[in-house]
This record gives sequence, structure tokens and C-alpha cells, in this order.
Amino acid sequence: MAASESSRYLARSLPRALAPSARPQTLCWRRNVSDQASSSRSPSAELSELESTDLASTNAPSELVESYDPIARARGRKTKLPRSRYQFRSPKYYRGPLHPHQPPPPSDPSSRLYVPGPFSLPRVEQTWQSTVASDILTLLYVHNPPGFKPPVKAPRLRGWDDSSPYHKNRNLRGPRGGDVLRLLRKPIDFNNIPRLERITIHSYVNMATENSSWLHAAGIAVQAISNVRVQTYKSRTSVVKWGIAPGRDTVACKAELYGENMMHFFGRLVDIVLPRIKDWQGVKGSSGDSSGNITFGLEPEDVALFPEIEVNYDMYPPKMIPGCHITIHTSARTDKDARLLLSALGVPFYGKINH
Amino acid sequence: MSFTTPLRRSTVTATATTARLQPSTTFICSQCRHATLLRRPKRPYQFTQLITMSDGSTFTHRTSSPLPIYRSTRDTRNSLMWNPSSSRLASLEKDEAGRLAAFRAKFGRGFDTNTAAAGSEADKKAEAEAAQAAQAEAEEEDDNLLDLISSFGQQEAGPSDKKKKW
Repeated sequence: MAASESSRYLARSLPRALAPSARPQTLCWRRNVSDQASSSRSPSAELSELESTDLASTNAPSELVESYDPIARARGRKTKLPRSRYQFRSPKYYRGPLHPHQPPPPSDPSSRLYVPGPFSLPRVEQTWQSTVASDILTLLYVHNPPGFKPPVKAPRLRGWDDSSPYHKNRNLRGPRGGDVLRLLRKPIDFNNIPRLERITIHSYVNMATENSSWLHAAGIAVQAISNVRVQTYKSRTSVVKWGIAPGRDTVACKAELYGENMMHFFGRLVDIVLPRIKDWQGVKGSSGDSSGNITFGLEPEDVALFPEIEVNYDMYPPKMIPGCHITIHTSARTDKDARLLLSALGVPFYGKINH
Repeated sequence: MSFTTPLRRSTVTATATTARLQPSTTFICSQCRHATLLRRPKRPYQFTQLITMSDGSTFTHRTSSPLPIYRSTRDTRNSLMWNPSSSRLASLEKDEAGRLAAFRAKFGRGFDTNTAAAGSEADKKAEAEAAQAAQAEAEEEDDNLLDLISSFGQQEAGPSDKKKKW
């Protein structure tokens, strides 16, 4: 009875919009020992039972107590215990937040989602730490004399002048001249020096509508150069010329590189692949999404220059080696800072530089 | 258990209606009843590879290529884009012994296709001298013409006077 009551209160106290059960309380079939005890015994007997509850008064047989020696038992064991007896195994399925058997967090080595590493200190990371970080910090230093107060800027979101009574409680307006709210650039300090965050390799294969082998070859090539399992994507736009309909045709694959994978890939790209590209001018200076992410593309013959593809070039159907777009996501808030970081790490830029 | 069933039903109907309202978006199951398989992440095997750059410097990196040593012939160390000030990488020909210059002096360079692109210093000097000589000749020509103009109509006065004037 008490249990069902509490569950009803629990249901009310939960933040979600619940429809509590219309089941009457009388239909509770569960029988509890406590109910039985309270109904049969007198309150004085209950109290005496409470008084007599004592740890010392456990009446276990003495031979059982003396024979209990777990250490000797473990030493005397001939074979090892099966792994399931001493090693925690994460559940194979996540059964929701209310399930009693929860999987450990992915950072736990016993989790099924655990990815060990890093196992090496990549060269690009070392370069960044030893030279690039201090260089960027020096280049982007802005001296403010003591007592300097920066001029007060207008708020990013404009309010409404209360000329009309309908302005009350209205949402704030976006900036003048376009409703895109750009990222705020904080002054570069020792703790927000731009660095590489992730690299996305994306390959759109238009021939994949005819034959899925194009996408398989593209995925394997991207996995070989990036060491990351690729994800495939369906087209979101319709391309009539290639017969691609949105949501129907799986046409693209993408690999996201983080951490060690990313650093090794970036070093390989800059040191070995980019110098070997014929008549390559560099990355276009106007590239970037104005929030610190730079994108450039590689032709299929440039992708074939990666040492991973070169080493077993014959394994790939020569026409099916894909071109790809490489997006370098940096922690810089503006393209200018991102370009400074990338040029310090060895990526050349050409043409008109957009700030 | 008693209150969960109506709850699930109501949420399922709610999500169904929202899904109907926005047909284009991806269906996101906010409250899934089914168990989600926790897939072990796939990590392709990686080898440690030693990369020898063209100037002999080496570094190791992790790659899916099984080759233990990779020797690169063209990289940032010998590419002009990464070394713009290097005269060695600029496409100037080496002619330390002067053999190419001697050949050109003997046979000319009419058959040389990239004469304008890559000319040695000696050729440049010769060209400069030729240009100076041509300029000097043109100046002399000019002088002669001026003489002619100034001497027009003074033929009667005689050549000796003209010499004194100038």
C-alpha cells in the first residue's frame, strides 16, 4: 500500500506532463510483509521487536562462522575464476535512464564505447606547443595601458523603442544589416590561443546513384587516409542532371577526425601531400565560414598522392578514387586568426584575403 | 509500472503529430522504449611509419600504410612554395663550369625554347651590352639628323662656320 502511494506521489513530483493512472488503490494485488506484520501484531510487539534488533544477537551457527575464510578459499582455488566473476562488463544495450543496470560513462575503460589513447605525441602538436602558440600570442598581442577602458559597444541585439504599446515583451531584434549574429572575438590570451579542433573530410560522389561501388571505394579511400570509419549521408538537395533526389540517394561519405588522428593527418597533408600537387597555388584566401573554419578541396589525383593510397594504389579502381573537401575546424573565432594559425602550421594561402 | 503505460502512449502520439507537422526533418526519438545497442567504436589498425623528407630529416607518425619507411621525393623542404627565397629551388640553371655558356657562344641559342624564361647571367650581360650599343648608335643617328637640320640652308655659309657654332 505504502509503495503504491509513494509511486503516485513520485509521479506527481516528476517534471514531465504525466497522465497518472486511473487505477483504483483497491486493486493492488501486491502483498507486503510489512502490511501483514502491521495488521496481525500489536504495536507493543512491534516496539519490542525494534528494541531487540541488535547486531550481536545474530544466531548463526558457530561452525559456519569459523569455516568462513575467504582468503584461504581463494588461495586454495586451483583454477582462476571465470572473467565474469571478477570483471565488470558493461551492458550491451542502453535501456533508458530509468533502467537499474546503467552502462558506465564512455570514459570508463570498461565501457563499450571506450576509445583508448592517445598513444603518441604528434609532430604537429609538438610544433604548436613549442613555437606556434607563442608566435600567435605575440602577433596578436594588443597592448592596453593601465587605466585603459575599452569604448562601450552597442548591444548586439537591439531592443525596441517603446513607441508602441505592442513593443512590450517583444523579442530583441538582430543586428542591423543582416540577421546573422557573428561569433564574438575575445582578445587572444594565453588560454584561448587558436588551435586545431577537428578536421572533416567530406566526399560527394555523384556516380553513387548508378552503382554503390563508387561510394564503397570512396569510403575506403577516405578511411585509409584518415584512419576513421566513415559515415554515409543521403543527399539533401536535388540534382536533376545526376538524377539525385533529396532523401533517396546515398551520395556522400564523411570522416570526422579528432585528437591524435587529426594531428597525424594534418602533418601528413601539409608535409607530404600538398607539396606534391601539380600547379597548386595554395588555399584560397577567401575560404572560410567567417567563424574560424577553413575549407579547401582536393582533386582525385591529389587524393591519390596520400602515402596510404599510394602504397597499394592498385587495390583501388583508378576511376573511383574520390576527390574530397577538407574542413579544418579551429578554435579561432574569426577566419583571420584561423588563417594565421594555419599559415603558421604550413598551409599556404593565395589571392585576396578576406578578413 | 501502472503509470508508465499511459505516459508512453501520450508521448508516442505527441511525437507522431510533430513528425507529421514537419515531414522533412529527421525523426528523433526523444523517449525510446527499445534498447539501444552500444556499438563498439571501430578503430582501423595503425602502423608507425618513419618519414624521411627530401633533406634527410625524419619523423615518425601513425598511419594505416604498412610501409615502415616512407621516403618522400617532394615535400615542404624542396618545394618552392614553402621556400620562396631559395635560389636553388627557383628554376635557374646551374652553370658553374661555364660549359652551357660556351656552347651557346659557339652555336647560338636559336633552338633554345625557354630562352626568355631562364637566361644565364652572361647572356643577360651580353644583352645589356647590345642594348647599350644600340642606344649609342641611335644617339649618334640623332646627332647626325640634328646636324642635317641645323645645316639646312647654311650650305652657302660654309662648313667651317658650322663647326664653330657647335
